[in-house]
Amino acid sequence: MQMARRFEIGLGFSLLLAASLGAQEAIPQTIQFNRDIRPILSENCFTCHGPDKSHRTTVFHFDIEESAKQDLGKGHYAIFPGDLEKSALIQRITAPDERRRMPPAATGKKLSEHQIALLSAWIKQGAPWEKHWSFEPPKRPEVPKVADSARVRNPIDNFIVHRLEQEGLKLSPEADRATLLRRLTLDLTGKGPTTAEMDRFLADKSPDAYEKLADRLMQSPHYGERMALPWLDAARYADTSGYQQDHERFMWRWRDWVIDAFNKNMPFDKFTIEQLAGDLLPNPTLDQKIATAFNRNHRTNAEGGIVAEEFAAEYVVDRVATTSSVFLGVTLGCARCHDHKYDPFTQKEFYQLFAYFNNVPELGHSRRGNSNPHIQAPTPEQQAELKKYDDQIASASARFTKLRPALNASESAWLKSIANAPAMQWAPSRGLVAHYALDGNLGGEPAPNGKPLPESKWEGSGQFSNGLMGQAASFDGKSHIVLGDVGDFDYMNKFTLSAWIFPTAGTGAIVSRFQGEPQGKGYTLQLKDSKVEAIFAFRVPDHALRVETDKPIELNQWHHVMASYSGSPEARNLTVYVDGVPQTVKVIMDILTESVSIKAPLRIGGGGGPENQFHGLIDDVRIYNTELNAEEAGILSVSKSLNELAKVSPGQRSAAESNKVRSAFLDSSSVPAEIRSAFGQVSKLREQRANYDEGISTLMVMEEMPTPRETHVLLRGAYDAPGEVVTPGVPAILPPIPADFPKNRLGFAKWLVDPSNPLTARVAVNRFWQMFFGTGIVKTVDDFGSQGESPSHPELLDWLATEFVRTGWNVKEMQKTILTSATYRQASEATPEMVQKDPENRLLAHGARYRLPAETLRDQALSMAGLLVEKLGGPSVKPYQPEGLWTDLTQQGQYVQEHGENLYRRSLYTFWKRTIPPPSMANFDAPSRESCTVQRGFTNSPLQALDLMNDVSYLEAARVLAERMMKEGGATAEQRIAFAFRLATGRLPSAGESRVLAESLHYSLVKFQTRPNSAIKYLKVGEHPRDQKIDAQELAAYTTIASLIINLDETVTKE
Amino acid sequence: MEKILAEAQLNMNRRHFFGRTASGLGIGALAHLLGQDLSAQENQAVGGLPGLPHFAAKAKRVIYLFQSGGPSHLDLFDYKPGVAKVSGTDLPESVRGGQRLTTMTSMQASFPVVPSLFKFAQHGQSGAWLSELLPNTARVADNLCFIKSLYTDQINHDPAVTFAQTGFQLAGRPSLGSWISYGLGTENKDLPAFVVMISVGSSDQPLYDRLWGAGFLPSRYQGVKLRSVGDPVLYISDPDGFDREQRRRFIDDLDKLNQIGLEKYSDPEIGTRIAQYEMAFRMQTSVPELTDLSKEPASTFELYGEDAKKPGTFAGNCLMARRLAERGVRFIQLYHRGWDHHSNLPALLPVQAKLVDQASAGLIEDLKQRGLLDDTLVIWGGEFGRTVYCQGKLTPTDYGRDHHGRCFTMWMAGAGIKPGMSYGETDDYGYNIAKNPVHIHDVNATILNQLGIDHTRLTYKYQGRNFRLTDVHGEVVKGIVS
Repeated sequence: MQMARRFEIGLGFSLLLAASLGAQEAIPQTIQFNRDIRPILSENCFTCHGPDKSHRTTVFHFDIEESAKQDLGKGHYAIFPGDLEKSALIQRITAPDERRRMPPAATGKKLSEHQIALLSAWIKQGAPWEKHWSFEPPKRPEVPKVADSARVRNPIDNFIVHRLEQEGLKLSPEADRATLLRRLTLDLTGKGPTTAEMDRFLADKSPDAYEKLADRLMQSPHYGERMALPWLDAARYADTSGYQQDHERFMWRWRDWVIDAFNKNMPFDKFTIEQLAGDLLPNPTLDQKIATAFNRNHRTNAEGGIVAEEFAAEYVVDRVATTSSVFLGVTLGCARCHDHKYDPFTQKEFYQLFAYFNNVPELGHSRRGNSNPHIQAPTPEQQAELKKYDDQIASASARFTKLRPALNASESAWLKSIANAPAMQWAPSRGLVAHYALDGNLGGEPAPNGKPLPESKWEGSGQFSNGLMGQAASFDGKSHIVLGDVGDFDYMNKFTLSAWIFPTAGTGAIVSRFQGEPQGKGYTLQLKDSKVEAIFAFRVPDHALRVETDKPIELNQWHHVMASYSGSPEARNLTVYVDGVPQTVKVIMDILTESVSIKAPLRIGGGGGPENQFHGLIDDVRIYNTELNAEEAGILSVSKSLNELAKVSPGQRSAAESNKVRSAFLDSSSVPAEIRSAFGQVSKLREQRANYDEGISTLMVMEEMPTPRETHVLLRGAYDAPGEVVTPGVPAILPPIPADFPKNRLGFAKWLVDPSNPLTARVAVNRFWQMFFGTGIVKTVDDFGSQGESPSHPELLDWLATEFVRTGWNVKEMQKTILTSATYRQASEATPEMVQKDPENRLLAHGARYRLPAETLRDQALSMAGLLVEKLGGPSVKPYQPEGLWTDLTQQGQYVQEHGENLYRRSLYTFWKRTIPPPSMANFDAPSRESCTVQRGFTNSPLQALDLMNDVSYLEAARVLAERMMKEGGATAEQRIAFAFRLATGRLPSAGESRVLAESLHYSLVKFQTRPNSAIKYLKVGEHPRDQKIDAQELAAYTTIASLIINLDETVTKE
Repeated sequence: MEKILAEAQLNMNRRHFFGRTASGLGIGALAHLLGQDLSAQENQAVGGLPGLPHFAAKAKRVIYLFQSGGPSHLDLFDYKPGVAKVSGTDLPESVRGGQRLTTMTSMQASFPVVPSLFKFAQHGQSGAWLSELLPNTARVADNLCFIKSLYTDQINHDPAVTFAQTGFQLAGRPSLGSWISYGLGTENKDLPAFVVMISVGSSDQPLYDRLWGAGFLPSRYQGVKLRSVGDPVLYISDPDGFDREQRRRFIDDLDKLNQIGLEKYSDPEIGTRIAQYEMAFRMQTSVPELTDLSKEPASTFELYGEDAKKPGTFAGNCLMARRLAERGVRFIQLYHRGWDHHSNLPALLPVQAKLVDQASAGLIEDLKQRGLLDDTLVIWGGEFGRTVYCQGKLTPTDYGRDHHGRCFTMWMAGAGIKPGMSYGETDDYGYNIAKNPVHIHDVNATILNQLGIDHTRLTYKYQGRNFRLTDVHGEVVKGIVS
């Protein structure tokens, strides 16, 4: 097996040629080092005689010519050009004594006769060396002349035909126009053409009809969606974080950026620079920052108990591995733990690249949702909407400001009127859940129109004494108040806790809903060593938000304390106020990804164990289910009544006092109608804007720390084994970074797309080739190193690469060149001779033919049914999925299927949970998106058959397609069958095909007619309403035919 | 092409594989599907690599009863009477050895050791020590081989389970079962070679598709989940109102159309597709037959427990595992969760143990009665063990234990594994290994070994490197194989 594969990879074409001539072991006339020799050395010798110096067993090594041919003393040479006798290499690989023979038996490797013959012939020919092809810059090759020049449409064909002619082969005829239309439409928009598009193209007799078609398809917004598909795989894009609970995250704004970039035909160099370093460009735009999410798409771990440093290192490794795979086509990941075994990359060089990506202000322990650094990333529509709010607020505020003199006057009059009235208080009521005045009883006042509160009771012997506002509850450290099921806030809820305290000791809970020590869970606002501490914990030691004020508070006097929380689980969103002033805090713990909701009751003066009960007085406790702001905190910290404040002259009132008076007045019935309305307008708009703002998605992006983090070589790749310090840099085998480039990620990104870089353009065009032909010119699209396969058409690859750079990295132009070539336009029918000669069709003597990607299969079926909703972008959606798949595996989060148009969006918008990917995508080789993937398989399995036959998506599409057949397809069964067949394959059925389908229809109809209820049952699939006017039995029979057509090999295949 | 088809036809006749597709087209098909060259030597199994097994296999199949969450070896298997004498004292620094802890307990002020609250006794002729929580396991102890000195590199669930099941802590590598179906193919033409079952209702830690994924191997080697809710295999049920005769006709008509395509395009892939629809059809028949327990005698449920009547329970899945084993399914992977006892262990562990004890033992007895234990390897264990020190508050009746990868216990049985023995020892605290350490890689090497596979020679080239399940590590545990 090993041997077979090595032949396939290393010697593909000479072997192919040899096989066709009937000589299995033919040796080429001129041995080419890169094609014929390097693969043998790499596979069999490099492990011990290769680039990894720590594993070398001898002074010479075969990855470098000088070393391999050096004088080893006493006339010994590993390789002596031209002399087999003197070349120890040959002596050792042919040694009769097993103990002397190379490679050693223990390695399990064995050279074939053919490989030995190749090595011998090569040494006889003088052992000419070549630098590994991919590290040499591409040279613009001369376009070869071909005999059959009539078929040539552009230089691509010269290269392909030239190679074919060497084998005595030629291009196949051009595919018929219907096939071409379907092929190109699938390749450029990810679904098949509509009937109208077919008619239009077939009617266009102009000589450049095909070119015009390519242009038109490239202008379609769905072009960007199609191009995004492989890019999302490469960028390991998903909607969840990928480890353990695999929580949802929000990266779709980046996905939409990608679609947009392709649609705008952003040059590939710009596309590269913005994704790798858009944040470092001068005055980066929001879009340029959004682009950098490319390197935040990797998985992040929020599991409790992990060592954060370990995963922080993994994230950077992932960035290096992904970036090198996607742009350089090399497998640098190998050099994480040791020098690369096969390619000239040292471990140190790996960490030099690592250093570029190691300066993100991030934590190894990620959050639920988006982790830092993240930005708010409004869509263009949302940006416009926000602007509209801002404008409206500005004009409403202006109206209100104009009324200020009138407001001041009426407020003064009101204050006069209440100065001698009984004591009046005012406090914010926005979001109030409960208010406990503690004026001699425990009764709480619920929110206006709120539920009655549960009964409260003392735990221990409690009492009341004089408080700040009426009476207060008095605590002796042995008792507290139990309020019952109030304030059940979880970590995604906003809330505010407010209380007046007169502490006589420095430690004790003020307000809490908390249980279990020392691994407690819940929330608490408490004193600890005279500091105010707010805890919001799933498990106190490691899974909590915990902050404490820097400054202690003074004991034995009244203070107002408050904690407010924005509903986003980060310590910075937990604000502690003392006496109305936001406090600077020490963050003790800043990781919270699990629910903190518990059954324990809300308590005043206790919670967190008997040691943690309050000493002193507590008064006027308020619980809110919203985040109060600083102004509101100020108001709450004013204990004076409105009547008292009325007696203070306006100039003497503090800002908080003035706010209290003003807020109370505006809330009173004494406000003149005009002012009330103007103020109401401003408040309403502000609230609306705030609500709107909350719905705007955030996005994790790259950001550079002001001081770069020090990067070390990690010994054996382990996070806790730092070796020498390294600075950013690129591998020595590749051209150096120009001195005037910035010494950061931006410089690295510019270097990637510098014309001197031998890899980037080749790797990019090779993947375009793979997208359109199924296989790259270099089959191992992610390995251009010595273990990868050599290009099938090296000169074509270089021509494409240089052409790409020459045209300014113009993606659409490059793709159009490929797609308008005669090579691409060939028919995909093969002859048995072709299959035998070139089973993988690497020479392209006929058009490529392979199964459609998972997403395209579904989109095509939806499109045939007319169900596909062609709306661009937006949050991911949840279409049909078999029930319970998530709950089989995790207790957290259920897949809640959506309805209506979200059932029929393009598949690239389907919600992607990495640990449980959508099964109908995974069945058809979509990767899990756990790591970078630049090549999908084309497997063929029984699960695929079951999926296409029985998945509700495909059955519903068949049912709705059947309606179309009956309504739009014509009057006869034959016409209707032809209608659907053409929608699926782009062509009309042959007489034979038509007959099979017609007979099948007849069978189905009889079957459903003899079992009347079965048709009704069969048609109950999917949520799209059925046209009740159509006869159920007939529709059921057509549905079976539509399903058959959806299952057809030709339908699931790109011809 | 004709030659290929002729060969395929020959192949087909040899294997009597396609009962119904008499046309013989598409036939390159199955061999192709199962990754076998047409010219490959004839194996008894279908698919698999030529040259495998590397040597005579003791095991034809594997049943892996994975206990996810980290069962406490100290409360189930690894009897440490000495700990009672030092109960509540801090774990000596010399024992802890400064190794890394999870951050759940690394910030604890102290590490009080806590003995098991459960009674241990010796069982069988082998005298295996077992906790009172496993009375049925105790009954079959003489059939089991306890590895008490297992260890792993990982201390958290996601990386540790991924490591145990794929040989690497990060996502992306093929799982144990997919390596095995890649290497050995299948012995049942109507069922997948690699079947996965998960106990319903078992809670706490999540599982991930990657645990039975194919990684970089072709996706056809991934495990197929056998579910107890909805379709037992995804999409296997035909729609309501559509009967088997219709499905047969549907596939026949599809075959006819695809054959027209095959003649036109000469693409062997079309033949493969025809074969896949045939396989799908057969699965639609064989899966319901598999899951129909109506013919199981009452004695079966005495053995596995009444729970086995409920689909998707651990007991039900154990019974299903035996039925799959009888049908020649190569790798049967069960998952049972709920072992993650950070707190409240004395109350929770007995409940948890009761859920699995009888059926685990019942499976062993059942396989033995049917003569299947001789060539079926059964494995019982999780991703790590638990700490001897208490997590959270220690009281006379309550304690919790954190994750512990430095030593834990697993048992194996059948298929050439020495029965009635314990292998390896831990120190007096059950905290470090004292004798015969066995790494996760060693376990995986041993599993492959029993299947006749040299773990260093089952490789797959990906991104320029030959990967294997055991990376560059792993030694067969010679001491436990006969």
